[in-house]
Amino acid sequence: MNWSLFWDLTVSGLTLGSVYALIALGYTMVYGILKLLNFAHGDVYMIGAFMGWFALHWLGGPVNPSATAWLVVVLMFLFAMVACGGLGVAIERFAYRPLRNAPRIAPLISALGVSFFLQNSALLLFGASFRDYDTFHLIGAKTYNYKDIFLSVPQLLTIVSAIGLMIGLTLLVARTKIGKAMRATSFDREAASMMGIDVDRVIASTFFIGSALAGAAGVMFALVFGQIYHFMGFLAGLKGFTAAVIGGIGSIPGAMLGGLLVGLAESYATGYLPQGSTFQNLYVFALLILIILIRPSGLLGKADVKKV
Amino acid sequence: MAATQPLLALRGVSKSFGGLTVISDLDLHVDEGEIVSVIGPNGAGKTTLFNIITGVYRPDEGEILLEEQSIVGLDPHQVTNRGVARTFQTLRLFLNMSVRENVMAVQYGRTKSSPFEAMLRLPRARREEREIRQRAEEKLSFFGQRLVGYRWDQPAYSLSYANRRRLEIARAMATEPRILLLDEPAAGMNPAETQEITELIGKLREEGRYTILVIEHDMHVVEGISDRVVALDHGVKIAEGSFDAVATDPRVIEAYLGLRKAETK
Amino acid sequence: MADELTPQVPPDQPRIGVDEWVASVEGKRERYRGPVGWLRRGWDTAPAGARLLAFVIPAAIFPLVTTEGNLFRYGLITLLYALLGLGLNVTVGFAGLLDLGYIAFFGFGAYTYGYVASVHTGHHWPAVPAILLAIAVAALIGFIVGFPSRRLVGDYLAIVTLFFGQAFVVFVNNGDRINFWPFNRTDLTGGANGLDNIDPLKLFGWTVNTTKEYYWFTLGAFLLVIILLYLVSESRTGRAWKALREDPLAAEVMSMPVNRLKLMAFVFGAAIAGFAGAIYGSVQTGAFPGDFDVGLLITIYAIVILGGAGSLAGVIVGALVVNGVPELLRDPNQAEWVFYTALVLLVLTKVRPWQKLVTVVGGTLALGFALVAIADAWFPRWTAGEPNTGKLAHWVSHWMLLPSHATQIANWAYALTIALILVLTLLRGWWRTIVMIPTIYVGAFAWENLLVEQTVGATRFLLLGALLVVLMNARPQGLFGTARVEIV
Repeated sequence: MNWSLFWDLTVSGLTLGSVYALIALGYTMVYGILKLLNFAHGDVYMIGAFMGWFALHWLGGPVNPSATAWLVVVLMFLFAMVACGGLGVAIERFAYRPLRNAPRIAPLISALGVSFFLQNSALLLFGASFRDYDTFHLIGAKTYNYKDIFLSVPQLLTIVSAIGLMIGLTLLVARTKIGKAMRATSFDREAASMMGIDVDRVIASTFFIGSALAGAAGVMFALVFGQIYHFMGFLAGLKGFTAAVIGGIGSIPGAMLGGLLVGLAESYATGYLPQGSTFQNLYVFALLILIILIRPSGLLGKADVKKV
Repeated sequence: MAATQPLLALRGVSKSFGGLTVISDLDLHVDEGEIVSVIGPNGAGKTTLFNIITGVYRPDEGEILLEEQSIVGLDPHQVTNRGVARTFQTLRLFLNMSVRENVMAVQYGRTKSSPFEAMLRLPRARREEREIRQRAEEKLSFFGQRLVGYRWDQPAYSLSYANRRRLEIARAMATEPRILLLDEPAAGMNPAETQEITELIGKLREEGRYTILVIEHDMHVVEGISDRVVALDHGVKIAEGSFDAVATDPRVIEAYLGLRKAETK
Repeated sequence: MADELTPQVPPDQPRIGVDEWVASVEGKRERYRGPVGWLRRGWDTAPAGARLLAFVIPAAIFPLVTTEGNLFRYGLITLLYALLGLGLNVTVGFAGLLDLGYIAFFGFGAYTYGYVASVHTGHHWPAVPAILLAIAVAALIGFIVGFPSRRLVGDYLAIVTLFFGQAFVVFVNNGDRINFWPFNRTDLTGGANGLDNIDPLKLFGWTVNTTKEYYWFTLGAFLLVIILLYLVSESRTGRAWKALREDPLAAEVMSMPVNRLKLMAFVFGAAIAGFAGAIYGSVQTGAFPGDFDVGLLITIYAIVILGGAGSLAGVIVGALVVNGVPELLRDPNQAEWVFYTALVLLVLTKVRPWQKLVTVVGGTLALGFALVAIADAWFPRWTAGEPNTGKLAHWVSHWMLLPSHATQIANWAYALTIALILVLTLLRGWWRTIVMIPTIYVGAFAWENLLVEQTVGATRFLLLGALLVVLMNARPQGLFGTARVEIV
């Protein structure tokens, strides 16, 4: 067995997986609270990548940034996260909230519309060409290694900051007041509102947090892989959702696990399966189908008891 | 006058959800032409009982026999085709379909023509369509002034609450069941409507010749219709017999009024 | 009889037990008065045959009065979209299954037809067996994709089918170099270049060649499908589908085999899409991966939703609007007319009473002329841009700021327009009227300086996306639907 290839695939799988996990968190949180599949989430991620790019260029561009590279990267993350958070709140406020009591297909189709609207707005505003983060100039090409395992700086940055964000989120949900309110709302929205929880605010915060995470994921992806374009959110969104489903939709640790699994699966498929670099998405799709058929509630999800 | 072969019989039926036993070792039988009421406090397992009989849930143990044939393990639609129809406590009408369509749709299991026959308007499809329509109107007419003709083409969501309950019964009747399961037919109705429902259930037996198993909370209704009453508490049958016998049974009173709790205090 | 027809409860009494949301939506429908209400009632009471004629007669006259190019763009493509819409209407509209991989079935139809009848592969089957094979393949794939629908509900089904649609695009894009067992070096799809040189349809000695002939053929196909679907929808199967859409559990308990019905809905929808795909392949003598992308999916969804999910007539109207309006936008001169006509109509019909209407119209005009005058005097750059072609655009340039090098400014104006429209939905009363004035102006500014240049691509699709959101919020049952679709 070629260990060097294996470790390369593992590292790139973990990097991809971190990105997917962050996207999956947004899906899972929104789904947990609204039982809504937010199709627009992938496009929020795309907008995040673009916001990071704009932040980078307002700060002088990759070749000669107006601050040290680390500060620039932090500011890019912050800007993308805040902008996406705001976008998420706006989407919820205008496209989903009026439909909260409507039949369930209505917000789904509304979400489809938002997704398409965002994609084509990005095409209109940012053009069809790829944009480049040019991480090479910004951060350099330094890599760290432990024996056969090579990690580039952006990869390390992605994995570490993703873990940081996940820990932060877990603490937020477990420890804070708003986290408690979120759990209560996702358990029973009506009862929560009767107990004096401002459900609208809780849902808006959920969207803010989920979208901010997607924004961060967008910047991470762009730092590692360089290029961004208006259609990048579609497939990433699909895989993020796949990750959420595999982990068990509604479960936060499940989304993290699912994200890593999807990232690794995609990476190994690329390396090991026949024509993997061409058909990797087909393999991920097959994995999704398999998991759903064997364990519809996902790896860490609870089975629904239907009430008649 | 219990017949030798009950129409519906449950033998030793148990069901639990994740450690919580909802029905335990239940025996129950309903004879042809009988009206049996199931009473019990909330959470006694009454609706679960219906779900088990109609195949929505599978019992963990026990036998369910319809005319001596087991119906355990059949899909709900197969159970219905064998002659068991039900209404829902929470009302599950096809709200956007017209009143008439609601009653027509449920005759799916009784008819056979394929979509291709419908496309080509072959004789069997046309004949069945005529019969479906006729039967729907016949069942709706059963409710007389309450579901009169002009309402038939209105969507079901435009009906009042009481009329929705009536439509649910009409819908169940249209599957031509041997036995009707009514889940709290008088829930949420005012006294006049409750009285009407009581009379209607009597009429269902007298004119419609239906055997009926009914869950009901309203003791006036239970008293007015039942040949026999079965009381459940925590999934266990605690009393069975005539209304008077069951209503005065100490265990039933205990279950309803929580005497047990009072005593232990 | 007359007594029986009047409700016994006076209408002003509160209707107890009415589903509030449905009632509020239904209330909007009840309000139609005057000619619109008259048309609506007339339509509702007309027999099905008469309704069909209302479509067939104009459709039959159309090719006699128009040019070849218009017949293709407005006639043939609309018909193909409508045919696709009919299939989607079965799965989504009737049965309530959110199938987001629908376009793949269309693709399978086109590719199957192309595979057995094109220069590319060297097979030249006659049209009838080729079309039948395309339908059969699509139906079979529909069956396979529909299979998970036995266990998946709502959102899961949506995501699996969406993924499937995407997988199809990946597959056809790379289908020319599949190189592992059992497909060693096979070329199934022609890869990114697609299958080209697909044969024209040859039926019983009639070769369908010209646009006109294709139009007639497609019209015939469409009529056949819509009549058959109407007959199915009025049969036990159609009612069972609708029952399944309304409440799957109640349907199952009420004697309907839900799993089989779901599969049937998938298969029917897929078969119709396969049929449409075969026609499409031969119309454009090729099948290319890019044709089967999300853009088309959204287009067809917009058609079905706009028309009203579950309504057959709605599909026709939806296809006319969703295909027709963007086609009109293609020509910049026409696009100007379409935009301003729509804007004026919107303001005229939606702004009441007349005081507010006068304020909005007067305010918007005054704002524009004032801004142009100010810019002319002090900021010449803001009026230095070239007006778009056409008479209307020329007039508009007296009212609208047209900066030179407008890209940046126009981008911000676009973002501002969206923000203003969103704010507008939150305001009531006079505030709304006042904010409407800058909203219209900034919107028109973004249109003149940005959107009008992209009408073929981005503008068309973002309008479709916005249409879906607005429709869901304002009129979720579409133009013709009375149904609300429930997916549990």
